[in-house]
Amino acid sequence: MGFSLGALKTKGKIKNSYDLIIIGGGPAGLTSAIYARRSGLDTLVIEQMITGGNIVSTEMVDNWPGDFNGVTGEELGNRMTKHAKRFGTDFLDEDIKSIELKGTIKVVNSGNREYTAKAIIIATGTHPKSINVPGEKIYKGHGISYCATCDAPFFKGKDIVVIGAGNSAIEESLYLLNFAKSITFVQDLPFITADKIVADEIKGKQNVKFYFEHLVKEFKGNNDKLTSIIAEDRKTGELKEINSEGCFVYIGLIPNTKLLANQIKLNKYGYIDAGEDTATSEKGVFVAGDVREKLLRQIVTAVSDGAVAAFQAKKYIDSIAGGNK
Amino acid sequence: MGLLEKQDKIFLQEEFNKLANEVKINLFMSENDCIYCKDTKSILEEIAEISDKIKLSVFDMDKNKDIANKFKVERTPATILEGEKNNLVFYGIPAGYEFSSLIEDIIDLGNNDFDISEELKKFAETLDKDMNIKIFVTTSCPHCPKAVRTAHKLAMIAPNVRAEMIEAQEFPDLSSRYNVSAVPRVVINENTYFEGALPDQQYIEKIKEAI
Repeated sequence: MGFSLGALKTKGKIKNSYDLIIIGGGPAGLTSAIYARRSGLDTLVIEQMITGGNIVSTEMVDNWPGDFNGVTGEELGNRMTKHAKRFGTDFLDEDIKSIELKGTIKVVNSGNREYTAKAIIIATGTHPKSINVPGEKIYKGHGISYCATCDAPFFKGKDIVVIGAGNSAIEESLYLLNFAKSITFVQDLPFITADKIVADEIKGKQNVKFYFEHLVKEFKGNNDKLTSIIAEDRKTGELKEINSEGCFVYIGLIPNTKLLANQIKLNKYGYIDAGEDTATSEKGVFVAGDVREKLLRQIVTAVSDGAVAAFQAKKYIDSIAGGNK
Repeated sequence: MGLLEKQDKIFLQEEFNKLANEVKINLFMSENDCIYCKDTKSILEEIAEISDKIKLSVFDMDKNKDIANKFKVERTPATILEGEKNNLVFYGIPAGYEFSSLIEDIIDLGNNDFDISEELKKFAETLDKDMNIKIFVTTSCPHCPKAVRTAHKLAMIAPNVRAEMIEAQEFPDLSSRYNVSAVPRVVINENTYFEGALPDQQYIEKIKEAI
């Protein structure tokens, strides 16, 4: 049991005005902060939940180059936070009410205070997609969970269900198997979509079962607790009832772009429309990490964006100031 | 061998040096059936050693019933931070992510500077009845400190709010009584609950629905 301070929110003196404000303190935002500070930009990171981002709810990160034995998401998130702090990044944990991206002065409003910046990097990431079938709202938190590291201990010795079979679903299931007696996967496609290395590992387990080409139709329970999941066989239309008190949902992600609607160009899935140069449709606004339209959402691609976005922000700020000071 | 990393200790030294006031921490332990009492004592002692602004008192709950009653302690380990308006309560070990909650509480109380949002301040002014907030957490839950801290901040400024962090795994009876199978789970006045990692305004709305 650790006593880590990586995620501690310290109260620095937060100013009203910065060169650069980074919205989101996950790997992309923190990398932007490291690069921006090193290039001399006065930088604020706003993160309303926890610095480190979604990776802190990942038990083990096994593809972060250099950490050849794997590293826990918590540890990696803490290290990145400390790294950004070391170069003098300011951190703020207020909730953001609105952002004004147009013009040469960008404004971020928290309801309590307004913060301005010459440039903005959006690194807001994603949140897990709900499945939107009857019963999900009722049994969310009563058997349905979206965070294995948070809730796995409650399912010790139980037979549980995992919905989805992508990287998140399989990786988190390998962790859940430290607690659960068995896992039944319900996957809409006819195969596991996770990387081969983790797919092979899960297939090697005795206590897992797969319902491929099945769709979840309903969550059932006794009002207090989830008791079963109804899944439909896509080929035959047959409905099956899987008895289970626990269900973890990993069916994909939704980009966190609610505050940006109508201000910058999004693609049809809601991700921010920007290429590798991280430039959005609005001048002085850059995007980094999972919230950007991209082929592969991974920590390494997020931090790569973060570096590019900070480089671009610096270049843009110098250009409006009339050259490097 | 301490529980804290050297770097973290140095960092805490710097933070605690800045504290304006003393912070009183009371730890209640028991000899039986308390898996994490010893570890809780060790970490609190290590914190208290860092700064003389932090005053730790350790009590055996069974041998100090009067004091335990005064602080309304119901189970161990209980870490109680004395506040001006209300005390802040941690049932179970404040480890993992909750260690940050503990340290942030200490810094807030020691500086008498609570950094509370306008929404929460306004809401606190409207509270006139007693309120009990239980926040069930696991130490590996990254979203939980937010829920704990929002409740603790409310308790720092509102007249009669008792906000108790409860580490769900250490108190399985309570977790099952309150039907906890996901965290953070916030229980208001024993009878209503909500998922707690929410922005202040939504948190307030949920409490309003509950009362």
